[in-house]
Amino acid sequence: MLVNLIKKELLIELRSKQILVSMAAFGLSVVLIFAFSFSVSQKILETFAPGLFWVLILFTSVLGLHRLFDYEKEFDAFSLVIGAPVDRGTIYISKWISGWIYLVVAEIIIIPLFVLFLQLRWTQPILPGVGILFLGNSGIMAIGALISGLAMRARMSEVLLPVLLFPLVTPVLIAVTKATTAYLNAQPFVLWQFWVLILASFTVIFGLLGYLLFDHVTEE
Amino acid sequence: MTSFFTNKFNKSMLIALIILFMVDVYIIVTNTPMIPQQHWAQKIFYLHVPVAWTAFLSYFFVMVFGIMYLVKKDYRWDRLGQSAAEIGTLFTALVLTTGPIWAKPIWGKPWIWEPRLTTTLILFLVYIGYFMLREFGGHPERVARYAAILGIIAFVDVPIIFLSVKFWTPEIQSHPQVEMAQQPGGILGPFFFSLALFTINWLMMLRFRSHTLNIKQKLLSDHV
Repeated sequence: MLVNLIKKELLIELRSKQILVSMAAFGLSVVLIFAFSFSVSQKILETFAPGLFWVLILFTSVLGLHRLFDYEKEFDAFSLVIGAPVDRGTIYISKWISGWIYLVVAEIIIIPLFVLFLQLRWTQPILPGVGILFLGNSGIMAIGALISGLAMRARMSEVLLPVLLFPLVTPVLIAVTKATTAYLNAQPFVLWQFWVLILASFTVIFGLLGYLLFDHVTEE
Repeated sequence: MTSFFTNKFNKSMLIALIILFMVDVYIIVTNTPMIPQQHWAQKIFYLHVPVAWTAFLSYFFVMVFGIMYLVKKDYRWDRLGQSAAEIGTLFTALVLTTGPIWAKPIWGKPWIWEPRLTTTLILFLVYIGYFMLREFGGHPERVARYAAILGIIAFVDVPIIFLSVKFWTPEIQSHPQVEMAQQPGGILGPFFFSLALFTINWLMMLRFRSHTLNIKQKLLSDHV
């Protein structure tokens, strides 16, 4: 059932392309703004780059998270989804995974241009970086999908989502920025494994919490 | 539907609390030892720590009342949760005010990313969102449910926020509470007196606020 739900999400996105196009376009615009705004030395820019990157990803993810539930408000489609004989927790997991996929696709477009436009050097092996990226995305989306579900039916949901999400997601932002900085500076893993642990714990805790609480989020 | 203070117990508790708070301030000013290096600045901790305790106690009970609401679906739990959230946010604002007042003379600047203070600030921001959700949530039943869920999420997030901030700025590890416990006698007595007083005050505030919310609810339902 989970696979079917994810397929449904991806199929709708494949047809409408609303989320991915808006995320990628927004991300690239912010990269341009960053490139124009910081006339500082390359060394300073490289020091700031991990933080800038994750702020950019967080802002970009808000667009995707908002649309994740918003499009199902049309014709009250969400009532049909929760009317189906599916465990509500599974709906949350499907939103989490599909949101994660959108974010990864957006990052595939954004990262090369982020590196190119800010003229950054990336000399580290790619695999640990991909691991940090995946974990960071998982953390953001674990709590993001839950908060987006809460904000969906409220008035001013587009304002409410970032106001609720940003403070709650602080541990992810701190951990992922620290891990990215350590990775780019080629520090040994033992020095930054703590941050990976924080990211993994956050993802597991809020993933479970979302699975348990989503039943109450979608009650009619 | 009577006023909270027409009840004799509540009225006498209010009078007792006012007197005891005046006694508390008197003890703090005149009857506590002066700490070298900190002098008068240290005195704020007889208020700052109990205020912080009250704030976190409130948020802990927002979570407990939230769980109770989700299980029982009784609006009384929701009103208790709202009361605790309001009191918690008021006391969090006080923590964020008294913290910098102490920090300025001791650390030389009003704000340092100390883990407890930072966690408090983040919680304060989360609860601004909580009240926005209550305001814009729509249907009262849905608002109660969402507020309960957010209360649970916020409290679960506290230890993770604290840990990540603690290791984010490992050079800042000044924990005034620990320092205070290491000080010679004469501090702990007045401190625990203050702590007990604030806890009783919190209980009274919670009862008062949930009472007014119950009256409001009754008036609304009578009107409908």
